[in-house]
Amino acid sequence: MSAPLPELLAPDAAVKPVAARARARGGWARGLRLWLPAGFLLLMLGACFVWPNIYTLPNPVRGSVLEAGLPPLSPGHVFGTDPVGNDVFSRILYGGQISFEVGFAVTAIGLVVGGLLGIAAGYWGGAVDTIISRVLDVLIAFPALVLALVIAEGLGPSELHVIWALSVFSVPVYGRIARSATLALREQTFMLAARLSGTRGWRVMLRHIVPNITPQLMTFSLLGFGVVIILEGALSFLGFGIPLPEASWGSMIAQGQQTLSASPDLVLIPSAFLFATVVSLNLLGDALRERWAI
Amino acid sequence: MAVAEELRPGIAARVLGSPSLRLAGRRLLAAIPVLWGVTFLTYVVMNLLPGDAAQELLGANATPAEVHQLELQLHLNEPFWVRYGHWLAGVLHGNLGTSVVNGENVTTILGARLPLTAELLGYAFVASIVLAVGLGVLAARKPNGIADRFSIVVSMTGLSVAPYVLALVLIYIFAVRLQWFPAIGYTSPSVNLAENLKSLTLPAVAIGFPLFSVYTRLLRADIVEQMQREDYIVTARAKGVPPWRILLRHALPNSMFGLITLIGLNLGTLVGAVAIIEPIFSLPGVGAILIQSISDHDVPVVEGIVVVFAAVVVVANLLTDVLYTALDPRIRYERSAS
Repeated sequence: MSAPLPELLAPDAAVKPVAARARARGGWARGLRLWLPAGFLLLMLGACFVWPNIYTLPNPVRGSVLEAGLPPLSPGHVFGTDPVGNDVFSRILYGGQISFEVGFAVTAIGLVVGGLLGIAAGYWGGAVDTIISRVLDVLIAFPALVLALVIAEGLGPSELHVIWALSVFSVPVYGRIARSATLALREQTFMLAARLSGTRGWRVMLRHIVPNITPQLMTFSLLGFGVVIILEGALSFLGFGIPLPEASWGSMIAQGQQTLSASPDLVLIPSAFLFATVVSLNLLGDALRERWAI
Repeated sequence: MAVAEELRPGIAARVLGSPSLRLAGRRLLAAIPVLWGVTFLTYVVMNLLPGDAAQELLGANATPAEVHQLELQLHLNEPFWVRYGHWLAGVLHGNLGTSVVNGENVTTILGARLPLTAELLGYAFVASIVLAVGLGVLAARKPNGIADRFSIVVSMTGLSVAPYVLALVLIYIFAVRLQWFPAIGYTSPSVNLAENLKSLTLPAVAIGFPLFSVYTRLLRADIVEQMQREDYIVTARAKGVPPWRILLRHALPNSMFGLITLIGLNLGTLVGAVAIIEPIFSLPGVGAILIQSISDHDVPVVEGIVVVFAAVVVVANLLTDVLYTALDPRIRYERSAS
């Protein structure tokens, strides 16, 4: 206990700058880990959803055959054009809209439906828990992509159907997480206090459980968002997702595959955007988990 | 239990009384509803969704009479429950039915294609686990060291890359540019083993790299936690056990549980990876026919593949349970005490 004393007595100037600098550096690096991916995602969102509305882009479909197969950095076409003459840059932005829309929708459905199922199972326990858990088990044990393919194929290719197909796999995952987070809360004192004071079940769930499991679900949802974007790409890549000629990163990659050796940029450009978006989501998820110490 | 011990049980009784076996038996019983649920769900979804196998097979120009004729032939006009009952009864007798498209036996189709898929998955699995253990240990040896930073960057890359993107980038670099590996095609191991491994290397990397990344990340985190928190590590250090021995003989075995669990859970998702990767490399495996059969509404073939993979997942989870008891004596003793 005597060890800190000399330091306390020492002049402030001798100790403080070192500590302050260390803290500042740590804070700066940590801030960068959070804001770099967040900034990229905001930039992508702005580019995909706002930019096409304020600046006239070339049409992503029905391009002119006269402009087919232009290499990147051609005048008027930053990323070049594909073999049918569509502008690649414009298809990247419209394809990005699809990726983000599907990602948001599937994540939201997973959070709300899966979250409520998981909370109900964890809070009530007993038969409710058994039934919900068994159904979630079956859905989780199921190879998600196969089920998504079967559903997307049966309903026919469209953005909405892709959302339904992928939700079937997101709901059970969020359900599982919400259930285990709720179980961990159930023994806490404030839950006992709420129950003793006669608060009704649904009110306990909404006012006490939901706010407490939200950080955990939110950080996971960033990782889930990335998985959904990859899966949407996979469905479109295999021809079960967004119907052509509408732009989607997955179908752009599949089309580029046919001319891979001649013009690899048609594969590499959408691949790079797909990768950068998913990496940013994963890094942001990691940074938030660290910050919130989950 | 106590009575049996007093009677000095023979081999049979001892085997039946073995805690790991009883645990395995219990898990097998618990797995049956999940297995049934998975196949039932596939059947429901494949049958209730719009889309008509007979129409699909005959093309858009078929007359309604022709479509009706084919439906009768394929028993598609019977009610859902009757068809499902027939199918389930067949499966319980080991008969997976025949393909709607070409009348071939599903067991024959799978038998011809499973070896390739099994070899591909085995290759990807073994390589990713071995490399993940190696890199995970190196990274955990010195948190924030060079190996650790490298492992973080590599695993973040593998977690974020889509398998189809990885496959195409690999083809472009190693098949188109460097021409080290063939881009497509498959050589049977009985023809030429070296060529066989060569033809499977790129697809195995495309499937294995994301797995390797997840495993490395998990294992590294688990070892670091063991090294920082656990008393037995402190004891070993105090006794003067060399650091590498602490890492490999003490921390590593105790960090394997998360990895083993994850590997068991992962197996089921691999059918999806196979379905994407095999067609890219023109490999005639199970994944390639799965995509084709889904497009054709070929219910028996899709069901057959789902049954096989679901069974593999169940067996894998059983094996992981047995491995737990092998790795951790505490689990063994707890079970036999209760």
